[in-house]
Amino acid sequence: MRKKLGRGIAIVAAVMFFGISFTGIAPAAEKPIVIGAPLATAFLYGWVAERGIKLAVEEINAAGGVNVGGRKRPFSVEVIDTRDLEPGVPVSDALLGLEKLILDKNADFIIGGPVRSEAALAAMDLLNKYKKISILTTGALTPAYHKKVAENYDKYKYCFRITSHVVEMANDFVTLLSDVKKGHGFNKVYIMVQDVAHARGGGEAMKKMLTASGWEVVDMKIYPTGTTDYSIALNDVARTKADIIFLWMDMPESAILLKQWSGMKLRALPMGFVNAAEQPGFWKATEGKGEYLIVNLVNGGNAPANITPWTMKFAKAYEKRWGLEPEGYGTSSSYMAIYTLKEAIEKAGTTQSDAVIKALENVNLMGVYGRISFDKATHQIIASNDPKLGAVTGIIQWQKGKRVQVFPPKVAEAKILLPPWMK
Amino acid sequence: MDILVYGIINSVTLSLFSLGFTLVYSISRLPNFAHGALYITTGYFIWLFLNRLGCSYPLSILLGVSLAGLIGAMMYRLVLVRIRGMEISEIIATYAIGLAIIEGLRWGGLRGTTFTLPSFASGSRHILGVSVDDQRLLVVMVGFSVFAILYLFVHLTRNGLALRGIAQDERAAMMLGIDSDRMAIVSFAIGSSLAGLSAALILPLGNIVVEAGYNVLLFSIAVSVIGGLGSWAGAIIASFIIGFAQILTEKFLSAHFQMVIALLAIIITLLLKPSGILGRQKELEERV
Repeated sequence: MRKKLGRGIAIVAAVMFFGISFTGIAPAAEKPIVIGAPLATAFLYGWVAERGIKLAVEEINAAGGVNVGGRKRPFSVEVIDTRDLEPGVPVSDALLGLEKLILDKNADFIIGGPVRSEAALAAMDLLNKYKKISILTTGALTPAYHKKVAENYDKYKYCFRITSHVVEMANDFVTLLSDVKKGHGFNKVYIMVQDVAHARGGGEAMKKMLTASGWEVVDMKIYPTGTTDYSIALNDVARTKADIIFLWMDMPESAILLKQWSGMKLRALPMGFVNAAEQPGFWKATEGKGEYLIVNLVNGGNAPANITPWTMKFAKAYEKRWGLEPEGYGTSSSYMAIYTLKEAIEKAGTTQSDAVIKALENVNLMGVYGRISFDKATHQIIASNDPKLGAVTGIIQWQKGKRVQVFPPKVAEAKILLPPWMK
Repeated sequence: MDILVYGIINSVTLSLFSLGFTLVYSISRLPNFAHGALYITTGYFIWLFLNRLGCSYPLSILLGVSLAGLIGAMMYRLVLVRIRGMEISEIIATYAIGLAIIEGLRWGGLRGTTFTLPSFASGSRHILGVSVDDQRLLVVMVGFSVFAILYLFVHLTRNGLALRGIAQDERAAMMLGIDSDRMAIVSFAIGSSLAGLSAALILPLGNIVVEAGYNVLLFSIAVSVIGGLGSWAGAIIASFIIGFAQILTEKFLSAHFQMVIALLAIIITLLLKPSGILGRQKELEERV
């Protein structure tokens, strides 16, 4: 009996040994191309970027990987939480995270953040130091990023941005508001922004541009992060008979503002850059009181829409993988950054930085939110209101619980609706 | 008129934020720096009972507020009783507990806009010609009711009188047979429940976000310092001063100076009357 048992164990051990040996002598997998993703993962712009990147990587790997000079190499992803959107976290923490990705995780390319503008700008020198190509996909909206590339190309040539920026967004809003003005005869705007650099900058830019285009800007109020009551300003909106409430806020508490607006039945249409209203959960969070709000999602494809044939394919794949619709700014751009990088590496036939930079500068890819191509001098994605010509924005309006694309007109799926109390 | 109406709303909201903090300090002389964490934890508990366990809204609130009280009592019984009297340790311990709770919730996924509580009342009405939503009116009504109930509790009930006894003179109260530790536990339970109650009332106006925990703590400290540490009446007066000052700031200056006003008020109070409006730390004033 003991002998039999001993034999059995020996056979099992032999099978296990050979099994392991065979695994060992199987053709070695190609070395993965490591994507380093420095992201503020506790915040929308961080976690959606992570999801977008991972989805694209999974799809590409499932299809065989990246063809690098005739060898198929998979992508692998290393995410680090930079915490750069958390209040009080210094920029240096995000830079340490980025450096860790490059030195410890051996990232070949940086995709995603840093998310906060200040951190993204500071990271540009590190990218030059380590000669690492970065495609910024989320968060940072400052025009200073691509201006720095243009001013010192040799130093900052590693930095690309596949998402829009404040100036483009403000232009889109002004165009949209011109249409609204023509359609409804509105002419008074009340601006409410959050007390953070990008929102104050966006608010000031909008104030100048709207004034220049014939709007009367009644007032501009700046709110500290975490404000939970907007009653005074909303009563001012009613008193001044403003037609539009223009918002630029990335704090979750801005949902309160919409609840109050709806509760007061103010005869002013709210629109703007409202982080809290980007996500599908906003409808439930406001108990439907955010209906009619117009939100800029920065890039198309951050909500389901029919911009290109790839848009809905992406939206469905995202929903299948993560259990909900594309959530907001940073989703489609992070996803597209991986495909754009794949295209550039395959064109270059190598992962060497200089060759990939040239390939990225010449990329021409019809993506989720229109044609993806970069300005050669600034490395900023070329924007357009026509998806055949460039990357289009994603301006949506909340209508019956759905985020419906309402701008630009070429890809709009519905007209802008006014709340019943404004008719 | 909007200054008057929203000044009152803002002041009552601040009172609700800070009443629990003041109560705990007045009885046990312990600054509960976990107060803001208990506020946000209660919101999360209520959300959890409502959305994950399928409890009714009133039951969820009852359970959430009770749990907050229990956590407060346990905090004292398990941690603070061991370091009572060591002021720096008390501050470090309560702050550390608060920080651990808040950052633990953030780490655990309490982020974004998805965590919300339904409003009790969804309409709005005009008060003195100013549009006010019903939920805020409810906050004011419940706020005044809480002040009244607390007043009656500490003046008419045995436990309330014992709490006052400890607050006025701990040694004399102990000589009369009042158990100081027991009263501290009761004060922590009531103070934490008040933090929870304010969360149940105020969080439906917006989202449950961890940052609110820090804000509530900061405003509670501001109100308590200005009103006089440990003085309930002082806290209510200070709430009205800060509340109206904030509304005036928003109206005539800019909303982003609101926090500056609260902190400036602390500095001015410490310079002019270190023990606060109705504070009784005379030795502090004498020292100054």
